[in-house]
Amino acid sequence: MQKKIYVLGGAQTDFERNWSKEGKGVIALLKEVIDDGLRNIGLTYGDIVELNKQDKIACFVGNFIAEYYVNQGHLGALLTEVNPAFYGVPSARYEAACASGSVALDAAITKIRAEDYEIALVIGWELMKTVDAKSCGDFLGRAAFYEDEGVGIDFPFPKLFGKLADATITKYNLDEKRYLDNLAKISVTNFANAKRNPNAQTKKWFMNEAQAKTRGTSTNDLIGGKLGISDCSQVTDGAAFVAIASEKFVKENCTSNEFPIVKGWGHRVAPMKFDKKMEESSANDYILPWTRQAVLDAYRRANMNVDDIDFFETHDCFTSSEFVAISAFGITVPGHENEAIENGRIAFDGDKPINPSGGLIGCGHPVGASGVRMFLDLFKQVTGKAEGYQLKIADNGMMLNIGGSATTNYVFIIGRNEVSL
Amino acid sequence: MNIKTVTVIGANGTMGCNVAGIFASFGEAKVYMVCRDLEAAKKARIKATMTVKAEAIAKNLIPKTYDDLEECISKSDLIFESVFEDSSIKKEVYRKIAKYLQPHTVIGTGTSGLSINELSECFDEKIRPYYMGIHMYNPPYNMTLCEITPSQYTDANILKKMKTYLRSVLLRNVEEIKDEPAFMGNRIGFQFINEAMQYAEIYKDNGGIDYIDSILGPFTGRTMAPLSTSDFVGLDVHKAIVDNIYNNTNDYAHETFKMPRFAIKLISENKLGRKSGCGLYQALENSDGSKTINVYDIATGNYRAREKYVFPFAKQMIQELKVGNYTSAFERLTNNHSIEATICIQFLIKYVIYGLVTTKSIGENIYSADNVMATGFNWVPPLAVIDAFGGVNSFKKIAIERLPKDFLSKIDIDEILRNVPKSNFDYRPFFKAK
Repeated sequence: MQKKIYVLGGAQTDFERNWSKEGKGVIALLKEVIDDGLRNIGLTYGDIVELNKQDKIACFVGNFIAEYYVNQGHLGALLTEVNPAFYGVPSARYEAACASGSVALDAAITKIRAEDYEIALVIGWELMKTVDAKSCGDFLGRAAFYEDEGVGIDFPFPKLFGKLADATITKYNLDEKRYLDNLAKISVTNFANAKRNPNAQTKKWFMNEAQAKTRGTSTNDLIGGKLGISDCSQVTDGAAFVAIASEKFVKENCTSNEFPIVKGWGHRVAPMKFDKKMEESSANDYILPWTRQAVLDAYRRANMNVDDIDFFETHDCFTSSEFVAISAFGITVPGHENEAIENGRIAFDGDKPINPSGGLIGCGHPVGASGVRMFLDLFKQVTGKAEGYQLKIADNGMMLNIGGSATTNYVFIIGRNEVSL
Repeated sequence: MNIKTVTVIGANGTMGCNVAGIFASFGEAKVYMVCRDLEAAKKARIKATMTVKAEAIAKNLIPKTYDDLEECISKSDLIFESVFEDSSIKKEVYRKIAKYLQPHTVIGTGTSGLSINELSECFDEKIRPYYMGIHMYNPPYNMTLCEITPSQYTDANILKKMKTYLRSVLLRNVEEIKDEPAFMGNRIGFQFINEAMQYAEIYKDNGGIDYIDSILGPFTGRTMAPLSTSDFVGLDVHKAIVDNIYNNTNDYAHETFKMPRFAIKLISENKLGRKSGCGLYQALENSDGSKTINVYDIATGNYRAREKYVFPFAKQMIQELKVGNYTSAFERLTNNHSIEATICIQFLIKYVIYGLVTTKSIGENIYSADNVMATGFNWVPPLAVIDAFGGVNSFKKIAIERLPKDFLSKIDIDEILRNVPKSNFDYRPFFKAK
């Protein structure tokens, strides 16, 4: 039997904050999220020093492209500027575009499972509001194959996910208006969910279905093919922190055995270029077969299926990516995602709620932080700590974090630990 | 409370237009935007959609004029009056609308400080239970505070339903405030701003306006320095607020509401602030399109280039805040005994004390001033300042050490700080590293 990986908890910053406007930089961001995270899990900087003396602790930093946004690389080592307690602590940065948080989590989980360390601190972050919108879009273009899909193109990613929308309509022979109305409903649901989340970027913003359907206007400009601004996740500053630990650590250091565990994971990489993805999947039922495969891998490893999952956090970088995630999760068969949207199954009070946090559209999308933020939200739901956005039933949750145009696909299942220590 | 139709009277004013946008968007209400003429109403309609960034709500916004009052009022579940801040003008409007009101229609006034009791008496006894103050802050899309103020005649049940509607449908941060001049946000905020203006006059030979603004800048827990805020709001509006408080209240801070002479002189010269091109500051456009900001020099009576003051305590605080060392930042402040650091500390402490005293006298509870200042002014709220100073004991010690004796003799600091809880707000985002 696989060794259990426990999730101890963590923290996230308020994604509404614009750190450039506050005049603060990455060190302030990291200090806040680590201070808050350590306090929430009951660990001190002194504990880190002691654990490090015994070589039991390591840090894993997820970030996409700080070299462009804040002129800073070497981000694992940068933690030593946060607190001297990190002197000597093994720490490195992990990158997989918008799935950078997940690859950091994966590395941490692997190291704990291998018993190299007993506790791992995972920090995902991105500061994106340091530049104007156009530069921001260009930087993000490096998550695609930049030479072919990014150079000289304004906002390459909205265009790629606009192409996903077009390809979805064609592949499943969908009614265009109905499909776009479904996307509008996805957007509205995410904005509405975010209203309950005190850390959401859009908690004060207004969005309703009429506005989300009014694409091509000055307040909802078309940004990628048929997609409007309302279909798009936000440019966000933020960080998220989680700590995971081995069974040994939990037994020796924790008074509670109520921590959830990582039950399954999947990691698959699809062809880098969007057109090649579509070419490869042309004969497949799933438009993004490697996304589906990552989900299946997680179910297999957890010995679970979609019936066992109470809620999902997905990578709604665009509404078109949440649409296809519905079938990738197995909530519906491919091409019938509309049923789950129109019948309210994925709404907050539905039987398969997606993004109770508000997701990337509602909560915000600091790219390197998003995977860790989703993981933290699974933890919060399973442990009943999601406050205003707590679901009634949340024993097991699944997250899907993607990098590029669904190129890197990471899935985790976190659930209640049925067997006590 | 089921509010489907709203009439906003004075919908072309800044607040009327913005509030119409809030009712039509979050409230999904049909909103009659009543203005002096139809052209103004049509312009206000477009503006209102932009305030909530949603053209789709335009279908809910209907431009109207005072000639249409009968139709609008008789069809409305709620009337929001947002006409000029003058009780005779408001009363005139009330006389016009009274005859068209349906039973159970709620009437809210957007007044920022006139007496709700006095205004309500314009209506007959049947209508008075439905009348109350509904004071939002500008711009309401970002500033979610809504001060709700009943008159002595307001029906408690209607008030309760209205609070629920404002909170759960319009997503407002609702605080019930007693019917006192300027309610709570402006009372606490303009105590600080006006005293800063008095200090600018006292310290006119040190630089005056920009000198004081540099001591109380964004690093002290606000987006904009206090005298820049006054310049932004307009000196005439500032004067109306502080005169109202000065003439109608009498607490220990009474004299701090007296507007200094230099500012009254600027108003008489129509130098009202940003809206009239100059006031406390003056923005000049250079030939390359960039702007030079001049400041009014109280000592000479002329505008001059704004100084870039470098106070060691402020520079050190900003450096610490930049890297998230909040505790060190406040130590840099409290351990510094320069005149500038002392002014800064005194202002922060006096703000907390006035906030707590005011919340106890006109708020719902000890947290009211915090909610009001954070969500109406975007200033670090009073209880959060205490947290930033290291908690109540540390705050009290610094207050006793650094406040002038004559000030301490006017207040009972032990009583004011007794059983003060931690703030519900995180102080960190409020203190800017600039």
